[in-house]
Amino acid sequence: MNKILKNFDGFKLITTPAITVVFLLFASMLVFYFISSYPAIERYGIDLFIRNVWIAAEEASKEVYGLAAPIWGSIYTSIIAIIFAVPLSIAYAIYVNDYAPQKLKYPLIIISDIMAGLPTIIYGIWGALILVPLLRDHVMKFLYENFSFIPLFSYPPITGYCYLSAGILLGIMVIPFATAIIREAYAMIPTVYKEGLYALGATRYEATKVLIGYIKPAILSGFILAFGRALGETVAVSLVIGNSFNLTYELFAPGYTISSLIANQFGNAPIYQYMTPTLYAGGLVLFLIGLVVNIIGLYYLKRWRSHVSH
Amino acid sequence: MFHTEYKKLRVLKEKVFLFTIGALTLLAILPLFHIIISIFLKGVPVIAERGLSFITETFSNGGIGPAIIGTLILTFITTIIGVPLAFLAGTYAYEFPESFVGRATKVLLQIMLEFPTILVGTFIAGVVVFPMGTYSALAGALALAIILMPYVAIYTEEAMAEIPKIYKEGGYALGCTRTQVIFKVITKMAKKGILTGVLIGMAKVAGETAPLLYTAGGLYESYPTSLFEPIGALPLLIYNLVQSPSPEDHKMAWGAALVMLIIFLGIFVPIRYSLKKDIKI
Repeated sequence: MNKILKNFDGFKLITTPAITVVFLLFASMLVFYFISSYPAIERYGIDLFIRNVWIAAEEASKEVYGLAAPIWGSIYTSIIAIIFAVPLSIAYAIYVNDYAPQKLKYPLIIISDIMAGLPTIIYGIWGALILVPLLRDHVMKFLYENFSFIPLFSYPPITGYCYLSAGILLGIMVIPFATAIIREAYAMIPTVYKEGLYALGATRYEATKVLIGYIKPAILSGFILAFGRALGETVAVSLVIGNSFNLTYELFAPGYTISSLIANQFGNAPIYQYMTPTLYAGGLVLFLIGLVVNIIGLYYLKRWRSHVSH
Repeated sequence: MFHTEYKKLRVLKEKVFLFTIGALTLLAILPLFHIIISIFLKGVPVIAERGLSFITETFSNGGIGPAIIGTLILTFITTIIGVPLAFLAGTYAYEFPESFVGRATKVLLQIMLEFPTILVGTFIAGVVVFPMGTYSALAGALALAIILMPYVAIYTEEAMAEIPKIYKEGGYALGCTRTQVIFKVITKMAKKGILTGVLIGMAKVAGETAPLLYTAGGLYESYPTSLFEPIGALPLLIYNLVQSPSPEDHKMAWGAALVMLIIFLGIFVPIRYSLKKDIKI
């Protein structure tokens, strides 16, 4: 009896239920998405993910759904966001770490943290009512009028709610996130490298170029994680993307992302027999893509960190 | 001759480089200022026109009172549900960093941190809202709790990991059990970090919209009375108003956005400043 009491670990007894809840929650979400989307997957098969159709009908037999356009939209807008965010967040990180005047450093870090924490609906209202008209009148119209022979710009920017607006808004939202990861990696570079570079007579430009090469894996994983974050963003995107089924690379065309599709359609989906399962299937795709992207990003970041610190 | 030319070129390159990263940094932070200024410019006239009634009255009387109260209630219930679980999960990840379960917990928490919030909302809609047959404050709070947990757990783990090992050893040397060492010694020493995590998590969930879309439902014409009935929230109200085509609704949305921005900055900036010395530059 005494022996049992001795091995009895109160700490584990208290914490294990919490861990179990966390694991069960995650597992049940995965299972739930598989089960809930099964009716749609069973009925439409692979067409559900590779066709672009959306016919909602009272009679179940006439309903046809295909999620190709939203899946494409999610990936496309996130790629635009990353392209937009790459130069800005790398410059931001380097400037804060190495070149900003001492007085500016701290405010710049606070600003980036505020940007990271700002509620997404704030970005959403600003994006929908200010950024979109601005982009439409000053950027899209110009590009359309002068460069519409390039297929990317050939869609007439009537409303301004389109892939490009969504991509740029997402880009603005992920900048602080990518910056934080790059900044942390940049600060982890051993000082001897910097000293060595300057001792060799490198200019600041040349030194930074070498140091950037050194943290390249961390930068890459920062952008992979930022891509994952952009994929899942819902509210801000659904307010600026225009919400229509368009499977196109034209930047000024309105579109859908998986999350904005769910945000828009989930409310009236129960009226139709197969719409809810279809939306859950979209959620499952988002779930799995997000999971893979985040695991890859976290894995590379971890590997790079342990590589540097040893 | 050639040598000086080359040097000049290098110096020129450096100048161009410095100018470029300065300009790009400015461009990166410009949106935040544009956002804050435009919300103030558009929001202040709305609030000035309606005065105090804007934050106390119901929607048809031109106010957003129920939404503000709804956000407060949701945040409060979320904290009660989420923080204890998250705290315990965080201490587990801290205490067993080498074990398989401990490592898996940490990875899982990091994944949950990046998880698309709309999926949490539709999950809760499927398991709570559909069986109950109605949107409810409870469903909204459950969805938010799932989002809050990873923040609190990761902050707890990181704050505890920063306490020097010697205090733990001292605790054991005095004959404390593991429970006593973790909950009485380490927790007290890491108090500030844990509290920061809780506050940042609360600020985050108070601003969430997507998980509430199909769980909380929305209630703007009267104040909430029951946990099992729909409830409103500030971000949800703004989202619905922005989608409406009427300029009158947009005005309300700007006013509500201003209230939200002030609440957010009022909570977030002091927390961030209190952590000043923890920031690595």
